[in-house]
Amino acid sequence: MDWRRFGFIALIILILIGVVVLVGGGEVSPTIIVVSMLATTISVATPLTLGALCGIYCERAGVVNIGIEGMMLASAFFGWFAAIYLNSILQMAPMPSLLVGVVAAILTGGLLGLLHAVLSVTYKVDQIIGGTVINILAIGVTGFLNRQLFFEQGSIFGGQVPHAPGVLPRLKIPLLAGSPIASIFEQQPIAVSAVVLVLVTHFVLFYTRWGLRTRAVGEHPRAADTVGINVARMRYANVIIGGMIAGLGGAYFTLESVPSFEPLMTNGRGFIALAAMIFGNWSPFGAWMSALVFGAAQALQINLQFFREQIPSQWAFLQQAYIVGLVPYLLTMAILTGIIGKTTPPAADGVPYEK
Amino acid sequence: MSTPVKKAAPKIASTAREKLRPAINAVLVPLLAVFTAMVIGALVIKAVGGDPLAAYRGLFEGAFGSAKALSETTVWATPYIFAGLAVALAFKGGLFNIGAEGQLAFGAVAAAWVGYALPDVLGVTLPAVVHIPLTVGAGMLAGGIWGAIPGWLKAHTGAHEVINTIMMNYIALNMTSFLLNGPMKDPHPLNVVARTPRIAESARIPPIFPGLRLHWGFVLALAIAGIVWWVLQKTTLGFEIRTAGANPDAARYAGVSVSRTIVVTMMLSGVLAGLAGATEVTALNYRHELGFSVGYGFDAIAIALLGKTHPLGVVLAALLFGAMRNGATRMQFLTQIPVDVISVIQALILLFVAADAIIRWIYRIRAREERLVLTRGWGG
Amino acid sequence: MRKYLLASISLLTVVTLLAACAPAGEGEADCSDPDVFCVGLVTDVGKIDDKSFNQSTWEGVKQAEKELGAVVQYIETTDSKDYGKNIAQFADAGFDVIVTVGFALGEATLEAGPQYPDVKFIGVDQEQYPGAEVENVVGLIFPEDQSGFLAGALAALMSESGKIGSVCGTDAVPPVWRFGEGYRAGAQYVRPDVEVNIVYHNDVGFDKTFTDPEWGKTTAISMIDKGVDVVFGAGGKTGNGALLGCAEKGVMAIGVDTDQYYTVPEAQSALLTSAMKLLTPGTFDLIKMAMEGNFPQGGNYVGAAGLAPYHDLADRVPAEVDAKVQEIDQAFKDGTLQTGVSPAKPE
Repeated sequence: MDWRRFGFIALIILILIGVVVLVGGGEVSPTIIVVSMLATTISVATPLTLGALCGIYCERAGVVNIGIEGMMLASAFFGWFAAIYLNSILQMAPMPSLLVGVVAAILTGGLLGLLHAVLSVTYKVDQIIGGTVINILAIGVTGFLNRQLFFEQGSIFGGQVPHAPGVLPRLKIPLLAGSPIASIFEQQPIAVSAVVLVLVTHFVLFYTRWGLRTRAVGEHPRAADTVGINVARMRYANVIIGGMIAGLGGAYFTLESVPSFEPLMTNGRGFIALAAMIFGNWSPFGAWMSALVFGAAQALQINLQFFREQIPSQWAFLQQAYIVGLVPYLLTMAILTGIIGKTTPPAADGVPYEK
Repeated sequence: MSTPVKKAAPKIASTAREKLRPAINAVLVPLLAVFTAMVIGALVIKAVGGDPLAAYRGLFEGAFGSAKALSETTVWATPYIFAGLAVALAFKGGLFNIGAEGQLAFGAVAAAWVGYALPDVLGVTLPAVVHIPLTVGAGMLAGGIWGAIPGWLKAHTGAHEVINTIMMNYIALNMTSFLLNGPMKDPHPLNVVARTPRIAESARIPPIFPGLRLHWGFVLALAIAGIVWWVLQKTTLGFEIRTAGANPDAARYAGVSVSRTIVVTMMLSGVLAGLAGATEVTALNYRHELGFSVGYGFDAIAIALLGKTHPLGVVLAALLFGAMRNGATRMQFLTQIPVDVISVIQALILLFVAADAIIRWIYRIRAREERLVLTRGWGG
Repeated sequence: MRKYLLASISLLTVVTLLAACAPAGEGEADCSDPDVFCVGLVTDVGKIDDKSFNQSTWEGVKQAEKELGAVVQYIETTDSKDYGKNIAQFADAGFDVIVTVGFALGEATLEAGPQYPDVKFIGVDQEQYPGAEVENVVGLIFPEDQSGFLAGALAALMSESGKIGSVCGTDAVPPVWRFGEGYRAGAQYVRPDVEVNIVYHNDVGFDKTFTDPEWGKTTAISMIDKGVDVVFGAGGKTGNGALLGCAEKGVMAIGVDTDQYYTVPEAQSALLTSAMKLLTPGTFDLIKMAMEGNFPQGGNYVGAAGLAPYHDLADRVPAEVDAKVQEIDQAFKDGTLQTGVSPAKPE
């Protein structure tokens, strides 16, 4: 763990929370503000964390994947569709419907991962173009099916969006009940899974043979091949796993956050996840911390709007939601320039392997 | 006596075929990609209960069925041509410009401002022959700057242009929202929408025929396509761009400054995208409005690839996409098939063009050209 | 290899010819026939599915189909430059009434009016200004500020923490502004020391501002974490997200446009009422008038606005509170009370 990078990330998060406390501290107790911001941060960072983990699996194995956005969007749709279908048409109870929906989302992600692997590893299509194809395909298919299945008269749902079986519930922790910091830790299942997956990925990548092989394939595929590792197979496996994780990220949007699907609802988060991965230097913990930074930026936006009246006039530009909304994107660009720290991608990242 | 004649005849026929062969091969895969995508699209329509032939008939009618339809198709195609050229030029330089959307937006905003505000600022009425070039030029400049920024960042920090251009798109969206809801908002009392005031009469590019929306911007687009081809093929700059794109090391060896070329390529790409925005403002809407993301950025990528990054191909592909977008409304009107099916078809076209091996396998065509490879990891 | 090539090219040609030369249209209703009454609806860039605005208006049109036997159809606009084109599709096909939904279509509707003098245009949320009226265009408008005022008063009276909030779409849209500021005015009218927090979703473009339930929910929860115990969700699907956030956190919510008890059942446990603007009956009434020949000669037609019933939370509303709300409602009807809210956001 690069302590300089870690320190910088922690500093940014502190600054973001600090700004809100400064502005709103007079109106609402600072403790409440900090707790509220942390709770929001962890929650909204979920898809970013999962997206970044997907990126890590793919790129550590040497495959660039910019189709994370499309994977999340498609999974969000198909997971939601499965949950609704089971609940409305097959009359399944809400919780099982939601859980099957999550599984459907994961499978969708895995399938798109398979497509990306086929395009990149077998057909050796340029990986960025392949990722773009997945994004465009996801936008087109989800937009079309969303309209056709839910709003056309003859469709199976009879032209109305049926009521969704709700969202996954928050996991209450008995120990913390009533405590002021409870809301930080009482998160929904996918948010919790994201954190767990960070730990799991770290372990797998750096402490197992599988992880070693994966990294070998991403750094020196020819050497790995010589030692008998099947480069294509490792890449396929990692990209599919990455896709499945992205699928879980997609499930967050429609099964955990709000029980509805909007066209383009991922809103660029798949790309911000890539930035988080790069800034985290392709390591799971680094990616997670970077995702938290972006989450905090989003929380900042919302809270500054809430405290709009309290913003002193010298800082009037902060009242402009459009300006504050720029923070995540400017942050990403700043990160990519490397002023904050040089990043080292896997050596064979993006290069198709020719036997 | 018959033998010499027999020997001569096949020789002439084969020469003709040899001349045509490259042309046929070039269009074959894209054409088949479109065809296959439409077949699959038909299957999709059928699967959800629609009538594919009726749908395609509606599409065709909406795109080409009348003078008005044709004019509307060119109206849609014009920004696609510019944006497609932008992306294609970047591809030729080995760069991936996903930022066409943002560059277009800034081009439109800048053009709109020069169009409605400049006469007031200068205190004079400008003749069209001055105002129009200034307006269009402002759009080109704004787009060029917006494109040059990620270019510079790539050249000097190694930051990959893919994510930077995507971020610039979101930044552009936010900034134009701010401008069009605030300082540049149309102050007309009847207006509530986020848009600029109408540009002055002197800044407007007229339509070609009265009553139809087909405008000279379309002609400009075709001309620019020709200019881009000429620059790429016949000038030193074009040579530098293509070489830096194909093999940066060889380019350096040949004395080309690769980092300078990267910035110039992205800037020119931005200029073209900015032109897309500027012509929409000066020739079609006469103002800039906070529109909805039609997705020019992604469409432009598909168009550039479908057109094999060749300016003529881009023009044809842009016309195709313009036709599809235009015809889709009529298709929905007649058959209730949602317009989104067009997006599915376009995505499939892109898939088949990108993975042309699939098309080759279906139709048994041998590979002839080299593959387009742009990814070299994240650079740095 | 060549045979496959030829085969595919010929197939391509055949199919293209087929598509192009086949006879047009089947047995569709002919709207140019004077006996056939056709009503068309053009949505704003947004969809027919938004669970409030576009949908409620469409319900009114469908009611005309059911009760008046009209032939109805809709076109969804995907790009604002197509407003005129979409209106023309209906007008050229001989439709009798065209409903354009949303203030953004105001200009296009006013332009189409004189071009198609035989067509009756209903412009939903398109306020017609005195002196700029067009004879065959009627603006269907609503007193959203009154509806919001009632909601604000109720919220202020029901709040135990003294903090209420509202999550809205962009205030650049006058009806949203009126809902939001009406809410603020109503709350302060009944309880001057109440704290009102209104957050408008100004940081995204028009395409997202009414279709961002995630933001709506996150913002509402953020407010609730700070002590707000009644939230008014006013902004299409964005507002719906806020209602869901309230349900999750167990505080009271107020819906908008229609009785959201029915459109967002996931929030039933939290839904106190909805600040309604009755789009469906308003649209239907105007269509009926057009059919019967009493269409107003341009200008505005003011629809009805008011609060929805309390549903599940009815026993939590004390009698005095309900009485006060009714009193205000009556004062509006008598004209003795004004909300004091400007029609649109001041520059």
